[in-house]
Amino acid sequence: MRMLETEVLVIGGGVTGVGVAWDAALRGFDVILVERRDLAHGTSGRFHGLLHSGGRYVVKDPVSARECIHENRILRRTHAHCIEDTGGFFVVTPEDEDSDYPDRFVQACAETGVPCEEMAVAQALRREPRLNPRISRVFRVPDASVDGFQLTHATAQAARQAGARIFTYHQVTDLLVAGGEGDVRVVGARVFDAVRAEEMEIRAAMVINAAGAWAGRIAGMVGSRVDIVPGKGVMIATAHRLVNTVINRCKWPSDGDILVPAHTVSIIGTTDVPVADPEDLRIEEWEIRKMLAEGEKLIPGFAHTRILRAWAGVRPLYRESAVTDDRDISRKFTLLDHQERDGVAGFITITGGKLTTFRMMAEKTVDRAAAHLGSRKPCITAETPVPGAEHGPYWLGHRLREVEDGRLQNQLICECELVTRGMLENAARLNPTVTLDDLRRDVRLGMGPCQGGFCTYRAVGVIHELKLGHGVTPDTEGSDWRVADLQSPAGNPGRGRPPVSAPEPASSLADHLYDPNLLLRDFLQERWKGVVPIVWGQQLKQEQLDRLIYLSIMNADHLPDAGLKSPLSDFYGVDVTPNDVLEEPHD
Amino acid sequence: MTDLLIIGAGLSGLLAGVWARRQGLRTRIAATGLGATHWHAGTIDALGYLPGEDAPVRSPFAALTRLTAARPGHPYALTGEAGLREALAAFRALLDELGLPYGGAANPDENLLLPSPAGAPRPVYLAPAAQLAGDMSRPEPYLLVGFQALRDFYPTVIAENLTKLGFRSRAEFLPIELITDRRDFSTIDLARAMDSADLSRLANALKRVAAPGERIGLPAILGLRRHGQIIAALREAVGAPIFEIPTLPPSVPGLRLTTVLREHFERDLHGRLDLGMTVIDFRAEAGRVTWVASRASARPVRHRARRFLLATGGILGGGFHSEPRGRVWETIFDLPLTAPQKRSRWFRPDFLAPEGHPVFRGGVRVGPDFRPLTLAGEPAFENLWAAGNLLADSDPISERSLEGVAIATALAAVTSLIKTDV
Repeated sequence: MRMLETEVLVIGGGVTGVGVAWDAALRGFDVILVERRDLAHGTSGRFHGLLHSGGRYVVKDPVSARECIHENRILRRTHAHCIEDTGGFFVVTPEDEDSDYPDRFVQACAETGVPCEEMAVAQALRREPRLNPRISRVFRVPDASVDGFQLTHATAQAARQAGARIFTYHQVTDLLVAGGEGDVRVVGARVFDAVRAEEMEIRAAMVINAAGAWAGRIAGMVGSRVDIVPGKGVMIATAHRLVNTVINRCKWPSDGDILVPAHTVSIIGTTDVPVADPEDLRIEEWEIRKMLAEGEKLIPGFAHTRILRAWAGVRPLYRESAVTDDRDISRKFTLLDHQERDGVAGFITITGGKLTTFRMMAEKTVDRAAAHLGSRKPCITAETPVPGAEHGPYWLGHRLREVEDGRLQNQLICECELVTRGMLENAARLNPTVTLDDLRRDVRLGMGPCQGGFCTYRAVGVIHELKLGHGVTPDTEGSDWRVADLQSPAGNPGRGRPPVSAPEPASSLADHLYDPNLLLRDFLQERWKGVVPIVWGQQLKQEQLDRLIYLSIMNADHLPDAGLKSPLSDFYGVDVTPNDVLEEPHD
Repeated sequence: MTDLLIIGAGLSGLLAGVWARRQGLRTRIAATGLGATHWHAGTIDALGYLPGEDAPVRSPFAALTRLTAARPGHPYALTGEAGLREALAAFRALLDELGLPYGGAANPDENLLLPSPAGAPRPVYLAPAAQLAGDMSRPEPYLLVGFQALRDFYPTVIAENLTKLGFRSRAEFLPIELITDRRDFSTIDLARAMDSADLSRLANALKRVAAPGERIGLPAILGLRRHGQIIAALREAVGAPIFEIPTLPPSVPGLRLTTVLREHFERDLHGRLDLGMTVIDFRAEAGRVTWVASRASARPVRHRARRFLLATGGILGGGFHSEPRGRVWETIFDLPLTAPQKRSRWFRPDFLAPEGHPVFRGGVRVGPDFRPLTLAGEPAFENLWAAGNLLADSDPISERSLEGVAIATALAAVTSLIKTDV
């Protein structure tokens, strides 16, 4: 069995985990992070993309509001390229008029230090012409749109540069414990490497549980009880960017009251349903109807716009006492030092909180870990830009500009999202690739209107050629790659002509699992999973075109090795009640 | 007065136009666009798989009984085996005449298996002559030749899968500069460039990479206008069997097919084809359709005819529309559809489900004379017929029957509407 040793072992490759790894590595600790799937596969990649100003929490959760605005200001510096400075509106719709909430909101913004300025409705409508013209008041706050994939990847990259080792597709199967009755100490973890299909042990002086909605399971391995109430939220993405500003309803937070512009789409969210299992990402029909109906109140005509996709994420809500409504559980984060709490030394859990406050959560966590390990340096993450931040704030047109500038050298593999062959090849070389979904998170492959219809086959072909040593872009291995470049056509200059003579095996492709047909099937099914809940109208026609391509033209349902499965094949299963589909359609 | 107004210019609409015109009917076609023909592979898929079965159908005719037992309302149950045979033979004769010959397996009862652009065997009944040397019953080893600058064709994937299936195969790349100096192109751009390219450079390059005895598979880009001469010249110069493999859409073989049919209808037969003419409304009196109206800039324009043939396709072709609650409807006449009208019943869990998805099998029910039926089972209108992929009880994409259904029902509908005195 492989054995590794480190000072700090972080469990969980969401934004909190990579934030902890980054902070700890900057303070000079030896760090290993393990994530059972890809970075940001969990909640960090399944939200609406809102970088909170704190406005949403000023009335009901002022502590969270203060944390949000504090971190909002920092992340705009340290992670500039992951954030689009859209600003945010809180609008009073006709449904919300008979309430004193707007006045309480203004008061609470002042108390918590969240900048808030009332503006004329006419002025707001000039900026956002699709907004419901019947709104009566508008407040402007410094909300922003943030890319959770980039935020996580860029932070992970900063952690790597500071010396952390990050292992994806490594699942913790058990915690290693030393000592006995009254003197229990966590000394590491047993880990299953899903790509190589082998077990390993990682010994560590401090184990930090940053598994988010799964944190209760990890803590349960040493008998510590951590009550996480996974709160499932459903979001849907429209095919168009309906607004350029984050739009919030100015009311007590509820379902479907946030609309966020994200890249070329807009995302509305969310519901909040307590679920027993954080893997329970089922999307119910009422949730979709609710999103459409609530969207209609913000943007008239919303219910008739073309919807691309729906997904669900689970909030890691920590239950301190009996609380009936999920949304009333605090969004404050929770740091549990199990030595003090349960008498289990060498083990800390960080959970709850918001994506917006991940850096602060990491800071407090590493402060605590450092106190046990013997402190070295103070936290410097608030002053340390991650690689890529030098590009400045995200701007919607950057890819198009770069693609047009470099048009002669680049093939567009995903035309919807302007993903070039160079971007795809470099992402595949640099990040472990088990499924095309991993590359999607890196470069936005397949996230546009055709939902993988054209790019799935192309990506499979490009990866296959790369695997055989026929990559067409220069291999950047050895040089210090930057996550920002993965997202940027200009960061991936293509050469246009294949260096066919010099095979360069791509080390990061998961060899044991690699099969082009499996990549194809997995990604088609992964895209289908998010389409089924919302497909009708024009998108139904699109899906029929995708079926024409993959059944009629490719015959992809009759490729060899149909039985192969990746670690994620089952995860891509769609949960349709058999009664619903087995019945014949004549009714 | 127009004898027949066909709505839709996909394969069924165009063929119905040709056949009706040849019978002397004053025929017009009004359509939004050219349907789905130029998205598909240019092959004629008659019946490739039976619902839920994994093995390809050997003979579409022999399999008909089992198909119609599973799906009694299937369009082939209406045309019958004889109708299907007759239509496929008529199609083949027509395309021979138009200089875009199609061929099939040595045994005319059987399907061919041709390599797909992913390297899986596609069961098709007829294929353009340019694709025939890909026939998987032939013995020659495969050499798949691609161009890395072409994003819609991946020869190494094809070669690897064919090898796994037991066929000797390998892949090579050639520089795209042999065909074009452009850097941004579709397969159609390449086919156009081939029409005027210097073939000797490509032929020499192919000769260099090919080993004796191999057959050479290329992406389907070998010319549009001069396609026949180009493929003959390349075969001659290289001295090897050369064949095309379809690519991602847009499809050059599909475009060639659409083009010859359209030109024959308009130029040789003096039929009138109006594209960009989306039919949105109709008027019926005493059980007869008197006019249909198309969208125009000032006001809808009315088109009168004695007979109307609805060939607008299903969800893919644009003949049906659907909404969030699950209602699916036919967009012009609101004919009753067999599609499940609840969204929760539309789909199966797997995208690639071998049984297909119920929503894509729903369609217009017609009587034996191909007139659409009301829920009571009566013809909806005395002078309205329907053909093609909008018909009920067939999922042409799962069945691989897209063109077979279009061709067989187009001929059957035209035969029926000519016989009917209106």
